[in-house]
Amino acid sequence: MDQASNHSISRTTVYEGSTQYRHWRFSPEQLAETRASLNTAAVAAIREAFEADSPGSSSQVSFLNADEENLLVKLYIGKVPQLCGHLHFAEEVEATAITYLKRFYLKNTVMDWHPKNVMLTALFLATKTTNNPISLELYTSRIPKTAPSDVLDLEFLVAQSLGFDLAAWHAHRALWGLWLDMQNLPDVLIDDLRKAYDDGIAHVRASRLTDAELIYTPSQIALACFDLASPHLARAWIRSKQTSPPASPPVSEEDPMLAILKPIQIMITNQGQLPEVESVREVDRRLKLCKNPEKVVGSNAYNKRLEEKQRKADEKRKRKAELVRKAMAAGDPFGSELAEKGDLDDDDDDDD
Amino acid sequence: MDAVEKANADRQKRWAKDQKIGEGTYAVVYRGREVATGRKVAIKKIKVGQFKDGLDMSAIREVKYLREMKHQNVIELLDVFSSKTNLNLVLEFLDTDLEAVIKDRSLVFLPADIKAWIAMTFRGLEFCHRNWILHRDLKPNNLLISANGQLKLADFGLARDFADPGYKMTCQVITRWYRPVELLFGCRYYSTAVDIWSVGCIFAELMLRIPYLPGESDLDQIKTTFRALGTPTDEEWPGYTKLPDYVSVGQFPKTPLRDLFTAATPECLNLLSKCLIYDPKKRISAKDALYHPYFSAMPYPSHPSKLPKPAKKESNRPLEEVDGNVEFDGPGPAVRANPPNKLKRKLSDSELGGRPIARKLDFTAM
Repeated sequence: MDQASNHSISRTTVYEGSTQYRHWRFSPEQLAETRASLNTAAVAAIREAFEADSPGSSSQVSFLNADEENLLVKLYIGKVPQLCGHLHFAEEVEATAITYLKRFYLKNTVMDWHPKNVMLTALFLATKTTNNPISLELYTSRIPKTAPSDVLDLEFLVAQSLGFDLAAWHAHRALWGLWLDMQNLPDVLIDDLRKAYDDGIAHVRASRLTDAELIYTPSQIALACFDLASPHLARAWIRSKQTSPPASPPVSEEDPMLAILKPIQIMITNQGQLPEVESVREVDRRLKLCKNPEKVVGSNAYNKRLEEKQRKADEKRKRKAELVRKAMAAGDPFGSELAEKGDLDDDDDDDD
Repeated sequence: MDAVEKANADRQKRWAKDQKIGEGTYAVVYRGREVATGRKVAIKKIKVGQFKDGLDMSAIREVKYLREMKHQNVIELLDVFSSKTNLNLVLEFLDTDLEAVIKDRSLVFLPADIKAWIAMTFRGLEFCHRNWILHRDLKPNNLLISANGQLKLADFGLARDFADPGYKMTCQVITRWYRPVELLFGCRYYSTAVDIWSVGCIFAELMLRIPYLPGESDLDQIKTTFRALGTPTDEEWPGYTKLPDYVSVGQFPKTPLRDLFTAATPECLNLLSKCLIYDPKKRISAKDALYHPYFSAMPYPSHPSKLPKPAKKESNRPLEEVDGNVEFDGPGPAVRANPPNKLKRKLSDSELGGRPIARKLDFTAM
């Protein structure tokens, strides 16, 4: 859509209004910083939990660092396309699930939530948010060793971690737009173009293994991928978008447009591969020892936390029962004046 | 406490629930306020725990689209937080809706009032379409009205995004009276034009003060539409007889809109007729509608604050959940004020039929 023609109506583009633009774009430094501080805070909290469980026990634990966490997440990002192939899910679902997975681990640590179930949950949520819903039972029945509760237990946490920003914009859509638009270029052989598009989509898929989508716009990534596939076509297209075509010279290597694409291309080339299984296996092995005991069902720390929650809930219930009793005493058996008190909290949930 | 849990708890603390104002099978609606400012809000609590497939689709749609849109003519989603297994949507509080306004017999509408409501509807809709979102359930009671008279599109529980042509979609959308003929004939490939038809029906309803095309069944809806607007010829809508669920309901002659809408100006009837063009490709777009001469011709649209509003009394209408004549399985997540302490109730087909529709629009020479 031609954004320029919308100037009279709106000052910002549709993309600038999106939650993706407003909440999920970072500089490489911000990303590194976010992950490092998340990791530090997680290690401190888990260390505390270990100590509470059994004093002195945290000293022998080797916690994961931010890079190791990221490596593990990347491994599970790589599992999404496999699973989507197996389940015949659309590319939109696949790309959205991967986006969710990356965003989730900008708010959470793998030491609390193992990426396997988070990945399965993100994928299930993505089927719904992209309007390709399937029943949970069918979904989990087709994935080995997975029960509906593995997904249901985490779905809310995932949606919450995403800040309920469920819409995601993807580079493969932008690449599709380029493919359509480039058909209007003069002297383009459709077979060349199709080949470039096919190669381009492979690069887009590789980009999903990187941080590109957290740093660049979908259209920047798509053009970078097209340029990797066919510099000739990508540059002809860039030229066609610049000043009056007959006079404009070929796009030079110093063109500011290409300068934007370069770091994306380097990122895809250097980081767009699956991690070596051996190195991840070592991380996963250590994760078994350093995961948050509060999240391990049956551990002392888990039980303690559960008891604490139970105690708080009981307290609230008692308080509420007291209010109802007072209302009864005041002659209003339905306690309707409770609603007038202005302090309804979420324990008005008797109905569920 | 996890960072995510803590962030949620902080969000939750920003809002207070004051009073239950509506309740349905899937959701409870509260009047509430922002603690810091006292701003009135509506809090819609969706019970999530009971769904075997997790978060339900209409809640997901509503959250997904409203998070992306901020516009004076689209209801604002202020916040989302969870409490136990409930999803809470904090929405701006709106006093009434266009259906209540239309039905209030004590109110007199000036042509400038109708123009203002339709202009605000098109503005909100143009913004949705610009964001690649189809509303798919426009009708007077999904057009909510704020205290200062602004009209806002609400209830995005049936909305979806659209992009490529040739992407199959369900035709079981839009409440029947506002549903265009292409959907009634089972068309699975459609676009923004479906919402425009609904606006046309609402436009007509504002002038008539009763629903324009109140069909009693899907088949009767086709007949009612053709009776009002004439059976389309193959020339004006090429190939429509090839649509999957096409049925012949007989030949009805075209009657000029002027015969029914006797008081309307030529520009007004021109815009109305462009919303109600059978061929979806020829139907006017929301953006073009905004540039239509109707809106620049005299009289100018009324200022929102000057628009007629129902007197401040509690209506007896229950919270509407699902329209009985639309087959889908989620709640309609729109939020509006309703009196407290109403029984749980779902509108059924028969109840909808019980709306005060005095007469069929049987105005063609038959």
